[in-house]
Amino acid sequence: MTKHQTDFAPSGGSTVELGRRTFLVSAAAMAGGLTVGILPAEQAAAALGSRNPGQQSTGAEFTGVVSIAPDNSVTIRTVKCEIGNGVHTGMAMIVTEELGCDWNLVRGEYMPPNRNLRENNLYSKTGGLAYFSGRSTGKEMMEQLLQIGASARERLRVAAATRWGVPVDQVKAENSTLTHAASGRKLTYGEVASDAAAIKLDAEPALKPKSEWTFLGKASRKRINMQHILDGSAVYGLDVQVPGMVYATVRHVPAHGGKLKSYNFDAIKAMPGVRAVVVVDPAEGGRGLPDRVTAPMGMSATTNGPQAAVAVIADHFWQAKVALDLLPVEWDAGDGAKWTTTQSIYTALGEAAKDTSRGNVLRAKGDVDDALKSGRRVEMEFMTPYQDHFLMEPLNGTALVTADRCDVWISTQHAQQAMYVAADETGLHPEKVHVHATYVGVGCGRRIYGDDVRTVVAIAKKMAGKPVKVIWTREETTRQGRYRDIAAAKITATLGDDGMPKAIDINQAASRPIGRNLTDTPYQFAIPNFRGRTKPFATNIMTGPFRGPVFVSNCFFLETFINNCAETAKLDAVEYRRRLLANFPDKGWIKTLDEVAQKANWGQSLPRGTAQGVAIGNWAMATTQDGAPVPFSGSTVATIVTVEVSRRGNVAIPRVDVAFDLGSIINPDAVRAQMEGGVIMALSSSLHEELNVANGAIVEGNLDGYRAMRQADPLMPQEIHVHFGGNSGHDRFSEAGEPPMGPPPPAFVHAYFRATGKWITRKPFMKYMG
Amino acid sequence: MAFDLKVNGKTVSVDADPQTPLLWVLRDHLAMTGTKYGCGINQCGACTVTIDGQAARSCNIPAAQAVGKSIVTIEGLSPDRTHAVQRAWAELDVPQCGFCQSGQMMAAVGLLARNSKPSDADIDQAMNNLCRCGTYLKIRAAIRRAAELV
Repeated sequence: MTKHQTDFAPSGGSTVELGRRTFLVSAAAMAGGLTVGILPAEQAAAALGSRNPGQQSTGAEFTGVVSIAPDNSVTIRTVKCEIGNGVHTGMAMIVTEELGCDWNLVRGEYMPPNRNLRENNLYSKTGGLAYFSGRSTGKEMMEQLLQIGASARERLRVAAATRWGVPVDQVKAENSTLTHAASGRKLTYGEVASDAAAIKLDAEPALKPKSEWTFLGKASRKRINMQHILDGSAVYGLDVQVPGMVYATVRHVPAHGGKLKSYNFDAIKAMPGVRAVVVVDPAEGGRGLPDRVTAPMGMSATTNGPQAAVAVIADHFWQAKVALDLLPVEWDAGDGAKWTTTQSIYTALGEAAKDTSRGNVLRAKGDVDDALKSGRRVEMEFMTPYQDHFLMEPLNGTALVTADRCDVWISTQHAQQAMYVAADETGLHPEKVHVHATYVGVGCGRRIYGDDVRTVVAIAKKMAGKPVKVIWTREETTRQGRYRDIAAAKITATLGDDGMPKAIDINQAASRPIGRNLTDTPYQFAIPNFRGRTKPFATNIMTGPFRGPVFVSNCFFLETFINNCAETAKLDAVEYRRRLLANFPDKGWIKTLDEVAQKANWGQSLPRGTAQGVAIGNWAMATTQDGAPVPFSGSTVATIVTVEVSRRGNVAIPRVDVAFDLGSIINPDAVRAQMEGGVIMALSSSLHEELNVANGAIVEGNLDGYRAMRQADPLMPQEIHVHFGGNSGHDRFSEAGEPPMGPPPPAFVHAYFRATGKWITRKPFMKYMG
Repeated sequence: MAFDLKVNGKTVSVDADPQTPLLWVLRDHLAMTGTKYGCGINQCGACTVTIDGQAARSCNIPAAQAVGKSIVTIEGLSPDRTHAVQRAWAELDVPQCGFCQSGQMMAAVGLLARNSKPSDADIDQAMNNLCRCGTYLKIRAAIRRAAELV
């Protein structure tokens, strides 16, 4: 019965031997296929090859971002990981626009964060600790990639001109071919790539204006990793095979923040394959980063600090899992135990929202208290629960820690953050940490901060010299989430004689108390008295970013409330919004609304029990210092949901229409995919998903208790129509992944009200319908 | 204990507890990682393979039960990604993150083997796998397309 150490089974304690093996270092494979002395990391790299974008191929490098091989193939390395949003494809497309290469010859790899660090953060121009996560089209990143493409193209032209002895301006570069028209001579990019890579230009070429683009925003491109998905060869973190690795599965204290009291290794020691039990103790802490080194996403106890845990290590995952299920463990729930039931949390949260005696005023204009004294009153209370990301790929990672090096293979949204977390945990300088990012079985915010990396490395470092693959079971992944923030709001308005709001007073409480798409609404320009207040509310349950953090709850609150105002005033809800938006200079909002209303045939006569509802929202809109919305920023999405309610009360969603204003876009089908998927995830989470709490611990662990929308769900939207006519063409290229998470749920609620006369004010809707 | 399995037309020897779920034998003992772990309780379908031509969720089948039967995984669906289901998936650009898609494709293979022209209702009932990215409508369309391509 021990803590703070590693228990080894008699048969499993071979770390000394293995440690020595990893130091028998010779990087080169010998002739005849002998592979004596190759590091497991290098063996793994060779085996994984191009199936894992974290492994590196060779070719003539123009910069670390672009290399061209003699066979004319082009490799584009990106600093962002592919989580399903197509970022890997999008970034390669941006380079291709200026490089003028044949898209069919383009393949993708990741820029290893370690290389970026060693080369002085060259590939992450937005700063040493730039965001390695997210979309492809951030302005600075886009300009950098376009410039890299243009520069490589010019060097190829110079190389061809030199070889032919002709002026550069007579050489055309197109479709991976260099042509000298006068003499009819041609070379492929691959044929001059090594010459070109050695050329330094006197001046960087100017970029084409957006109006002259021939590739971006024109035809859609399929994802560049499609081939590997089709035959199952794409390597996700879960699929990494490192020679000599063992498997671990982990159990954390069920009540977040609690402690390990005891465990009994003797009970499982003799089980087949079992090698050790390893304890992760938060009190031990990480060994720290070097002076003046900070992680891009920071370090904190709840974002990426370790939670108390035990892990069983065995020869195979299944052996570890069976043994862990039988391992006697006692936990101390700690302070979290006071949250005895979900209702105890909801009660406290609801009271916090209604408490107007405190709260941070995010936005105030006019005299709200006075204006609320007269006029037709509308008042609603809302609440949204903890929800899990329920990532398809359970949390996992593989690490090999030695005295002077740490290798980590992991599905991460932020390989750079992962490197710093591993450095912090091991005490190694980040230059000695090699993160081999893989494809990611969806991210949605869960894999940014690196708590998973921390746990993997904390376990592996206790098996020094031995590669350890750590897999969270589904139940553990769910119960150790960093969930969607809970939020509640009380909103009150009075309507003027024209039916429009005279005053709106918003009081919100949330585990992440921000006013995005609530207190910064552009509607306020048409509302003379407006106030938005918020306050923090915390339990021991940890939350984190989840595709549209707080935006999703706030959009539901605000849009449902506005729909109620319109219905109370007996005014059309689309026209109501046009009036509320009339004073806002960004006409992309009304254009988007008009587009979706027209395409969904808003206002049509529908059979009894069938109705449409509408909502609009903006993700990532900028705000002024005093909390006002900034026009022409963020991603605006408008939705109309059609709902059918049968006489027996059965609900179906025959159709959803979506329009958007992202400014400009580069890959229409990728945008369509994000909109369609976002609608489904938004409706799944709003209709069905809720995590319950008992004595500080999450109850649901798997799909037998946590309902997520699947193919046969009676509420699956039967059609989703994505319309492009709302896009303004504004110069920003705003993201497409998070914005469709907001408006579909309130549009559903509106349609449900119009079909049944009943407002739903809490999620999950299924619990409060009928 | 060693036993033989027939996977993608080849007989392979496995040294494992025969009660180990087929999923983990495929992944950890045979290094065939195209078949995914998602829930482990027969719900999400990420682990779907075909056994004697029928779609089966390998997380819930002890390897011993698959002895003597013909197992096909995503790796064995075709030598060159030209099975009708793979072609349809590529044509409609179905995947987003891709993690569930091996299981989705194998479930589609099982469906089309017993119903060559499935209706939308047939598809919904037979599939019912989880896709957190929400590619369901594309999956439905791709199965209809695969039915044409067979």
